[in-house]
Amino acid sequence: MSTSLRRRVLLGVAAATAALGSTVVGSVVVSGAQTSAADDVTLTVGLLQDVDSPNVTVGYTVAAYELWNLQYATLTDKAADDFSIIPGLAESWEASADGLAYTYHLRDGLKWSDGEPLTADDVVWTINTSREQEWTNHFATTANLTATVVDDRTLTIATAVPDPKLPTMDVYIVPKHIWESHAGTVDDLAAYDALDGVGSGPFTLTERKANQEWTMVANPNYWKGTPAISQVVFRVFSDGDAMVTALRSGEIDVAHLVPSQAFDDLKSEADIVTVAGAQGGFTELAMNGMAGGLGDGHPALQDINVRHAIARAIDREALFDRVVKRQGELIDTLGVSPDSVWTPTLLADQKLGYDPAAANAALDAAGYLDVDGNGIREMPGGGDELKFRYAERSDSVNGAALRELIEGWLSEIGIALDVSVFDDTQLGQQLYDGTYDLFVWGWTPFVDPDPMLSYFTCAQLTTDAASPGYNDANWCSPEYDAMYTQQNQELDRAKRVEIVKKMITLFYTESTYVVLYHDSDTQAYRTDRFTGWTQQPKGTGPVVFSNTSPSYFNLKPIEGASSGDSSSTGLLIGIIGGVLVLLVIGGVFIARSRSTADERE
Amino acid sequence: MTDLQVPRSGRAVAWDRRRASLAGAWRGLGNDRLALLGFIVLLLFTLMAFAAPLLSDKSSLSAANTGDNPVWSPPSWEFLFGTDHLGHSVAAQFLWGSRISLFVGLMATLLQVGIGSLVGLTAGFFGGWVDAVLMRITDWFLVIPFLPLAIVLAAVLQRGLWTIILVIGVTSWPSTARLLRAQVLTVRQRLYVDRARSLGAGRIHVMRRHVLPNVTPLILASTTLAVPISILTETTLSFLGLGDPTATSWGGMLNAAKDNSAISGGRWWAYMPPGLGIVFVVLAVTLFGRALEEILDPRLRER
Amino acid sequence: MRLRFVIMKVAGALSTLAFVVVFNFFLFRIVNENTVESMFRGRNLSASQIARLERQFNLDGSKWEQFTAYVGQLLHGNLGVSMKDFRPVATVVGEALWPTILLVGTSTLLAMTGIFLGFRAGWRRRSRYDVGVTTFSMFTYSMPDAWLSMVFLGLFASGLGLFPTGGLEDSGSNLTGLSQFLDQAHHMSLPAMVLAIAYIGEYTIVARSAMIDTLREDYLQLARAKGLTDSNVRRKHAQPNARLPVVSLSALNFGFVLSGAIVVETIFSWPGLGQLTRNAATGPDFPVLQGLFLLFSASLIFANLVADLLYGRIDPRVNGR
Repeated sequence: MSTSLRRRVLLGVAAATAALGSTVVGSVVVSGAQTSAADDVTLTVGLLQDVDSPNVTVGYTVAAYELWNLQYATLTDKAADDFSIIPGLAESWEASADGLAYTYHLRDGLKWSDGEPLTADDVVWTINTSREQEWTNHFATTANLTATVVDDRTLTIATAVPDPKLPTMDVYIVPKHIWESHAGTVDDLAAYDALDGVGSGPFTLTERKANQEWTMVANPNYWKGTPAISQVVFRVFSDGDAMVTALRSGEIDVAHLVPSQAFDDLKSEADIVTVAGAQGGFTELAMNGMAGGLGDGHPALQDINVRHAIARAIDREALFDRVVKRQGELIDTLGVSPDSVWTPTLLADQKLGYDPAAANAALDAAGYLDVDGNGIREMPGGGDELKFRYAERSDSVNGAALRELIEGWLSEIGIALDVSVFDDTQLGQQLYDGTYDLFVWGWTPFVDPDPMLSYFTCAQLTTDAASPGYNDANWCSPEYDAMYTQQNQELDRAKRVEIVKKMITLFYTESTYVVLYHDSDTQAYRTDRFTGWTQQPKGTGPVVFSNTSPSYFNLKPIEGASSGDSSSTGLLIGIIGGVLVLLVIGGVFIARSRSTADERE
Repeated sequence: MTDLQVPRSGRAVAWDRRRASLAGAWRGLGNDRLALLGFIVLLLFTLMAFAAPLLSDKSSLSAANTGDNPVWSPPSWEFLFGTDHLGHSVAAQFLWGSRISLFVGLMATLLQVGIGSLVGLTAGFFGGWVDAVLMRITDWFLVIPFLPLAIVLAAVLQRGLWTIILVIGVTSWPSTARLLRAQVLTVRQRLYVDRARSLGAGRIHVMRRHVLPNVTPLILASTTLAVPISILTETTLSFLGLGDPTATSWGGMLNAAKDNSAISGGRWWAYMPPGLGIVFVVLAVTLFGRALEEILDPRLRER
Repeated sequence: MRLRFVIMKVAGALSTLAFVVVFNFFLFRIVNENTVESMFRGRNLSASQIARLERQFNLDGSKWEQFTAYVGQLLHGNLGVSMKDFRPVATVVGEALWPTILLVGTSTLLAMTGIFLGFRAGWRRRSRYDVGVTTFSMFTYSMPDAWLSMVFLGLFASGLGLFPTGGLEDSGSNLTGLSQFLDQAHHMSLPAMVLAIAYIGEYTIVARSAMIDTLREDYLQLARAKGLTDSNVRRKHAQPNARLPVVSLSALNFGFVLSGAIVVETIFSWPGLGQLTRNAATGPDFPVLQGLFLLFSASLIFANLVADLLYGRIDPRVNGR
């Protein structure tokens, strides 16, 4: 290499190193000195998952729902305390005589964030189009509904069949004047990027940097008033630990889905409050009931005695304590809603509590004996061993821990496990094909119990792997189905609650699920910048990413709150960094001069 | 010095030469202190891996048996490397994990070198269109992005040790193939091969007597050097959650440490032992392998 | 440099690219049979919705029809549409491209300082300098980047709080110009250092080996016999030839690291191609994965081509073939 080229390259590398060093230093100084403007109050939310799409007909993630909760007001709202129905865009409504139609009266002076008036036309267009084009997020609600405009501020919604959910109307109402031009066909609508940021909720989308963050600004035309916060930034982290560190350092104000170990650690931090927000979600051990007829589930699992023995073998208290660290609730039954009104109380003789002795006795009595003495029971009459395939989910952080414990407990009642690990896609396929025995997975229900209950009807069994249903319990019961149809159209609330409770109890005693625990959204927020954090439902629910996300409008900044690092630390770092940079540059020059001396031999 | 020299057979002479070169190699290794250190460290880790069942009970790896242990306890006399979030002894996991990491590293290397050797030798030896086709295929495999392919493959196949071994082996063979082919070509160009051919020696004879002896050391050396890469790759794949949760390797321990907030919680004992273990094993194999390469590779032998 | 040489190399690159396109196409169709069902699992789609989606994602019709449609789209620059958010794959990948290039480019530049260390070490073989440099290189080369990232995060971000724990910029920042540059640099410091340390060893060792190999060549003896000074021999004769493997390594490395920074990007929440690959693998969002594979392979092919052509330029022995 010629001298000049070498020198040039050396200089280049030195320059690059020096540049990096100085930028590192300078950046630390700059970021330390940064302060936000006085009237620009920003709430920063940390989460682990990006919005998949801001388009209501495309998106499906929890993050997207939060975006829509803030951007689109709904006809009726839900109280923060207990999900009870309260006025939203509609200030009042009345039912028709037969209960099959409701007339809603919109508030006066409603406007979209871009100044256009919000009229009954927008509501009617949203409901009817979502039904006609089968918008994924709306269709479950609007499938049987038809909306008609009465006048600018009045509309009627009629249902083809009795619908106990009405008058609750919580589908996101989108601005017709923006969306109509994109809605030629549902394909056209799916292609719309929905970055217009025109909404009727407290905040509207203003900027989106995919995989990094998205920003929403306060909507001055929100019918409740202008929020005290001027903007909300949602910041996406790909690592839970990084998010926790950011919360500790004040980079973010609230974190959603804090890793469970860090959640424990944060409890002892002075400025941080941890919330284990219940959403009714739960984790279960499921067995193959073979009701769909596909696949090759172990025959022993179709015997209710075996299923009950397995339920009794599991020390759910220990599991809840060690694996979940008590971040949730130890509820035995199916979770159908974050609203606890639907949860039944089991009778003492219905409960299948931890009792391995009773489990062993029951299996002995039912004829499952360990004839060859190897510790594993066989089928009555000495057939196949009770060795069940266990599918562990690689996508679950607790998957390994749960398997270790369950494997240990089942071995104590003479059942062995053959463990395989799958990701969710592979496991889903196994379930469709019926080629499994045991697995652990979970669900998160909606506020209304109907969807969750529907998953375990006979209609949802997978009888053809090419068009699978939701029923991964692979179990069904005509009694359950009858009750399902009843509650689906029962307009009397109290009666409906009773029916649902009976269904859940039946499911507990008969089905293939052993509900291990109800989990929670582990969240944490700082107490030194904002006040007014609202749990939904009161006392047990999460503060953000809840059903209608009331916190954001309720939050107010605390006067005189500090913001981030002090500049003196930055200066100190700057000095140290500067010295380092000088050392590097100096080192390079010394190296250069030495080699030049070399050349002079 | 001695009395009459008894005429010896060619084979005996050849064996004498081999013995002498082996002795020379051994001495060469001994002279290189770092390589010796690497060899000793490697031996220690291997012994430790084999001795794991004697040093620690495998049942202690299951949370079902750690209920009485303290959770997140820092290193102490009772638990040399402390405990994790479920009370598992990190030292026990380290011991048993070493077996997995070493096993996968070795197996993946054997697979990779096996395929690579086969392809490289065939291409170099036959030449012509066989060579052209095989090298084309090798080039194609070289440009497929390794880690994304590994991620996709691991998603298709069931999670398990053999999947990782397969994934690493199937994606890493091209460099070995190229190396061996180059060596075969070099040997074939050497004068003595030409002389042998002109004397009427057949292809097989050339292969056995000239090519293989010159290529085998290279295969051995590249095997030794491929082991570190396999171990590091297995670490990365396990860290990304593609490993086997029922047989936790050192990479899996790193993943678990991250998932259980060992970093933000300041629980360094959960990730320092496995990380340092990898560093030392890989370093040891690399030092030893490079010394071996210098001895065995005819091109690198010191003048 | 002869034209024939160039044409042959370019033709070779194109044929490799063609293979990659075919491989790409079939890989993802073999990987997952019910792609639409598994991707949209849990959304309760009707049969007509599924059919519509299959049409949209080029999953209906025979494999051959799908393949011709795919190639046709490619030639028009259409990489398809992401299954997660229905945005064009080109957009999604394009957004993630610059952060990765920034990170990988910076760390590669830093790692390349290893070349000088290696040259010198190879020249003075078995000297203390050589032993020191070689040991240092092998030590850093042995560090898994997952672990190194964790240590850095624990030490500098969590522990000392000197650097942010992730992301490209501060939350909600609207900085431009120098401030934005500094902000990004601050965020990039830790991941860039991890990558630089991880790769410096390789450059050092390869440069050293290349130098050693070159030292054996006869023409160096000739140069020495002519009475040239030691360093002159090194600079004018040895180093130029020792550069060759280093050049090809650098080119190859850039291509590899582009796709291999997955671990570092994940730990540091760096919104680049590595993270995109990871996110796309859950689902799987296979149009995005296809696009990424194509991008990575194409960049490696290009890097190889550049390396081959550079080789041809530098080493007259090579291009005469």
